Amino acid sequence: MSKINKDEIALNYGANGKELTPEEIQRLKRLAKKKSHRLDAGGWIFVICNTIFLILFALVTLYPVINTVAYSFNDGLDALRGNIYIWPRKFSVESYKTVFNMHGIVVGARVTVLRTLIGTFTALVANALLAFVISRKRFLFKSSLSLFWVITMYVNGGMVPVMILFKYLGLLGSFWVYIIPGMVSAFNVMVLRTYMQDLPDELEESAQLDGAGYITIFARIISPLCKPVYATVALFVAVGQWNSWFDAMLYNRLNPEYTTLQYELMRLLSSVSKQGGNVGLASQAAQSTQVTTISVRSAASVVTMVPIIIVYPFLQRYFVTGLTIGGVKG
Amino acid sequence: MADDMNQDVNVETQNAEPEVIETVTVERQSAPSAIKVPVSLEEQEKLKKLGKKKISKAELKRQSVLLILGAIFFVYGIVFYYLPLAGWFMAFQHFTMKNEFFDSFFHSRFVGLGKFSFLFRFDLLKEAFDQTGNVFDALAQWVDGAMFIRTLRNTLGMGVLNLVTSFVAAILFAILLNEVKNKMGKKLVQTISYLPHFLSWIIVTGILRETLSSTGIVNEMLRALHIVEDSYNFFLEPALFWPIVAISNVWKETGWNAIIYLAAITAIDPCLYEAAEIDGAGRFNKIRYITLPGIAPTIVILLVMNIGNVLNAGFEVQYLLRNGVIQKVAETVDIYVLEWGIGKGDYSLGTAAGMFKSAVSIILIIIANKVAKKSGQSGLF
Amino acid sequence: MNSKKFIALGALSMLGAAALVGCDKKSKYTEFTMFSAMEGSELNPDNDIQNIIAEKTGVRVKETWLTGQTAEEAVGSIIASGKLPDFIDGGNGMTQLYAGGYLVAWDPYLEKYPNLKEMYTDAEWENFRQSDGKIYWANVFNNTYGAPKAPGHNDEAFWIQVRVLEWAGYPEIKTLDEYFDLIERYYKENPTFTDPTGAEVPIIPYTVQAQDWLYFALENPPQFLDGYPNDGSVIVERDTGKVIDYNTTDTAKAYFKKMNEEYQKGIVDKEFATQNHDQYIQKLSKGQVLGICDQNWDFNYDVQPALKTAGLDELGCEYIPLGLTIDGKREQRWHTYGDTLNASSGCAVTTSCKDPDKAFKFLSDILEQEIHDLRYWGVKDVDYLVDENGVYYRTQEMRDKQNDTAYKASHMCQYSYMPQWLGTSRDGINAMQPQEQPIEFRASFSKPLATCFDKYGAEGYPDLIGSVIEENTAWFPMWSYSNELKPAYPEDAADGSHKAGDVWPAGVAWENMGKCKHEWLPKLVMSEDFDADWEAYMADYKKCKPEDFLNEMQEVVYQRIEAAK
Repeated sequence: MSKINKDEIALNYGANGKELTPEEIQRLKRLAKKKSHRLDAGGWIFVICNTIFLILFALVTLYPVINTVAYSFNDGLDALRGNIYIWPRKFSVESYKTVFNMHGIVVGARVTVLRTLIGTFTALVANALLAFVISRKRFLFKSSLSLFWVITMYVNGGMVPVMILFKYLGLLGSFWVYIIPGMVSAFNVMVLRTYMQDLPDELEESAQLDGAGYITIFARIISPLCKPVYATVALFVAVGQWNSWFDAMLYNRLNPEYTTLQYELMRLLSSVSKQGGNVGLASQAAQSTQVTTISVRSAASVVTMVPIIIVYPFLQRYFVTGLTIGGVKG
Repeated sequence: MADDMNQDVNVETQNAEPEVIETVTVERQSAPSAIKVPVSLEEQEKLKKLGKKKISKAELKRQSVLLILGAIFFVYGIVFYYLPLAGWFMAFQHFTMKNEFFDSFFHSRFVGLGKFSFLFRFDLLKEAFDQTGNVFDALAQWVDGAMFIRTLRNTLGMGVLNLVTSFVAAILFAILLNEVKNKMGKKLVQTISYLPHFLSWIIVTGILRETLSSTGIVNEMLRALHIVEDSYNFFLEPALFWPIVAISNVWKETGWNAIIYLAAITAIDPCLYEAAEIDGAGRFNKIRYITLPGIAPTIVILLVMNIGNVLNAGFEVQYLLRNGVIQKVAETVDIYVLEWGIGKGDYSLGTAAGMFKSAVSIILIIIANKVAKKSGQSGLF
Repeated sequence: MNSKKFIALGALSMLGAAALVGCDKKSKYTEFTMFSAMEGSELNPDNDIQNIIAEKTGVRVKETWLTGQTAEEAVGSIIASGKLPDFIDGGNGMTQLYAGGYLVAWDPYLEKYPNLKEMYTDAEWENFRQSDGKIYWANVFNNTYGAPKAPGHNDEAFWIQVRVLEWAGYPEIKTLDEYFDLIERYYKENPTFTDPTGAEVPIIPYTVQAQDWLYFALENPPQFLDGYPNDGSVIVERDTGKVIDYNTTDTAKAYFKKMNEEYQKGIVDKEFATQNHDQYIQKLSKGQVLGICDQNWDFNYDVQPALKTAGLDELGCEYIPLGLTIDGKREQRWHTYGDTLNASSGCAVTTSCKDPDKAFKFLSDILEQEIHDLRYWGVKDVDYLVDENGVYYRTQEMRDKQNDTAYKASHMCQYSYMPQWLGTSRDGINAMQPQEQPIEFRASFSKPLATCFDKYGAEGYPDLIGSVIEENTAWFPMWSYSNELKPAYPEDAADGSHKAGDVWPAGVAWENMGKCKHEWLPKLVMSEDFDADWEAYMADYKKCKPEDFLNEMQEVVYQRIEAAK
């Protein structure tokens, strides 16, 4: 049917496919119509293997999560025997009662919800504003301010100086340590900037002719067009906020009222429990630590993962678009 | 900053008369399609004039809002990102923390490169070389003896292994998923594949520990297949630790990482496939000669971006999974900084280690960028 | 989401945050904070007894505990942040806290508050003095008021379940071989047991922790098996004061070889090397484990209540300590009588405290008998009763409540890392702490435990161990020094021989030895070829330069002997 061999296909259509002329494409399309799309034996084998592989992939991805859920709904003592796979053997909601009665978990849940909401909102506004500023062609310090922020992605002063800084800013032992320091992230700004740069300049220019200021342009013209990328960045930030524990441990150790859900979860799951190095310290008075069964640990895990699992499929449309545009080009 | 914005917003909502809202709605609806706004010739002329960058008073006034915002972000960046860099000076001191930070900062003993020599232990290398007379044996002994070097090796090793496996897995997954014609199935698998990305490492390591425990599914399967009699303890085998970390990384991030590749594949002109099909190219050849070259630029960009992060590839998982038997392969630079810098109170040593890490990261990314550009791809900068 | 909704959401969350931040109610009491470098459970914010104590003293202390980090990392990051709690017990970090000038000296307050001064004799207080001649902390544990009451053994031992002894007819177990032999025989006949819920539970014959610092249970038995007390890091010969490294003795090799054999026989828990403390406690609480080596405080405060709650105590799942030696022929010192003074750490007041006087007054106030009783016994008629002779006792119901974690979190408040007494109460009748009250001690026994005590003719746990009764040596315990070792000197030497930040060879060696043992000891137990691996371990161990450490320990022994003269 055709004289072109495989290598020529690669040469002509692969890496630099743009060299095809419209006529050629037309010709190829016509030819393509003639060829039926029935699969040969090899094709079938591929499809079957591929399907099996992807189903397996999905199962491997889902199984541990389902398994955790199954354990969480199982009776605590019974669960210790193991061999629970996708369905509880001895159904019980006791573990959830235990989890919701844990003071730390309740406080942690409240703080986590708040930091996720506030943190996402403020970070989004801040990142978007900065991206807006450095994506304006007219802005005098466009490239220098961009570089200024790109550098922050790769260089940091380390844990100790940061802590000392926070101390002097009064951020230690406060809720705002979760919000303010992480408000601007260079990575997110770059994603947003790339997206904004690709919006046509005429939008801005015509609005300016209508007498709109930059704030108006940002709020009324640019932002509505940036919905998908906003959603993506919001999701990045929200997931980070929801899942963080290290900051709670480092900065709010002495303030259990600002504990977070993941930190509390770590206390339940952690392998580094009762670590230290001072045998003599421990004593008569060694505090009785609550014994947690695998069911309770699973229930706590489920509690921390359910909200985000419920939310993400609805945001899928946005983050796929946002990530694609921001990522492929950025 | 956020407060400023909030006030703005509030003012606007308060003033929002019904008509205004209407205009807003109209504007928003029309905005996405209003890509070309008709502009009169005169106005175009005017714009051109203004478009020239010139630091005139008028220009400054025009973009005063941008300048103010820019300045606020500059100050913010200085405070939260650049000010802590002054702490790097500590790497050259023996910093002893006293009650008043600045007091201790200015009065700590200057030790020059002393902390770095404690990190690198070149004396050990020399000693080993004198003993063995063989460079490789000496290096091996050195890595084994100098703790920081060991953590550096672990970080690089795990970083590279993670990088390679997660790239291969994501690209493979994207390509295979792209071959699925059933829309529903494709969507379902894809949605499932994102799930682990949203779980914290605390949950993932918890799951991992249960899965690989003696009553976990992996050991159940091994028992059923009579590969082991009792159970195999995966966390006690040093040779398995890196792969375990890599696999958990693949499990967690493959679906998420594949998003970009899937998009890049979708962006390839379908005609190419059709043409190739006509010319008798099979499925594998199409993947090899069209899909892969089509997403190559994306791969390169992401690779360059991630190479700069190779040394950042290790904290949480290793921190949460390590134990005594495998510590020699599990400890990373970040853990070293925490353990020695904070735990043993040697802030200077921790800072020196962190500083070295930053430097290596920057060098890596510059090299990667150069290589990418040399091989004909557009780099990151 | 349209922009209005978005803004509304933002505003809403701001409001929420304001509510959260604003909800710090003004308390009518002075609020202090305390951090202890040990894992513990936080009290509920409206804890009953905490409120009563606050009512009486005007002070409420919010306690926080170690979580997820090592004690060193936790104290390190607290110091780095420079924002300290009002009270701190920093474990090994005490010297760092002192060197940084973060602690308030006790000296003026010791004169002002006799309750505090009373804690130790003048000679004992001397041990707490730092290089500037002042006292910055006081250890709160192991301190007896009046006549000692302790029938307990709070330290390390090889423990065995009562039912195993019962099954064998209460034999004398003197050596490691006899111990494992008994466990093996019992396990052979009873691979599983039926727990009170009717479930068939598999038995784990022996388990031991190998994680982090709790690996001492695997690491330090050689010193005990050789008949020495818990000096922690070295053996010190009693007569000569000579320091011996217990890691390399023949006994050490014999002990690990035994462990290795038992592991190969399937007696030692396959998961021992990776289990965390939680999993370990869990196995014990299920009654699954026949034998362990551990410190009482590390497991029994959790395990015993759990066993009782599950009714497993009546099946004989409680643990009895045994005083084993390598050959069964020598004296042993698993139990040391008298108080162990650990001057290396304790409760301290920090410079972040705005009102140190009030803080010290509080420490003194909680030593008042009335408040001490509240802390350890609870509320009269609610948590304990008093009979006509003034003896405190509890009903079974009250005892059960004390085993209930939720009740303890909402009701009991021990301030357990603050000054406290053991021994006899100021009324001369009762014990300062309930677990030492003789009537409480026996009354809480399950039937199998009581029978076991009778069969061995034991009054208290120490009798079961049968360690020699003698005075502690001048240097005891040596771990109070090795705990302070750091890879770099924290302070300039008084004689100028080293400066802060210089490498501390003993500290580096100690650090490396620890790492080496953490890696090798579990490997030895699991080894396929023990002798070869032992050689490899010894070779690796030598590379850590243990002599740097041992020489310094030797010097310290001599210094302590000198100081005691």
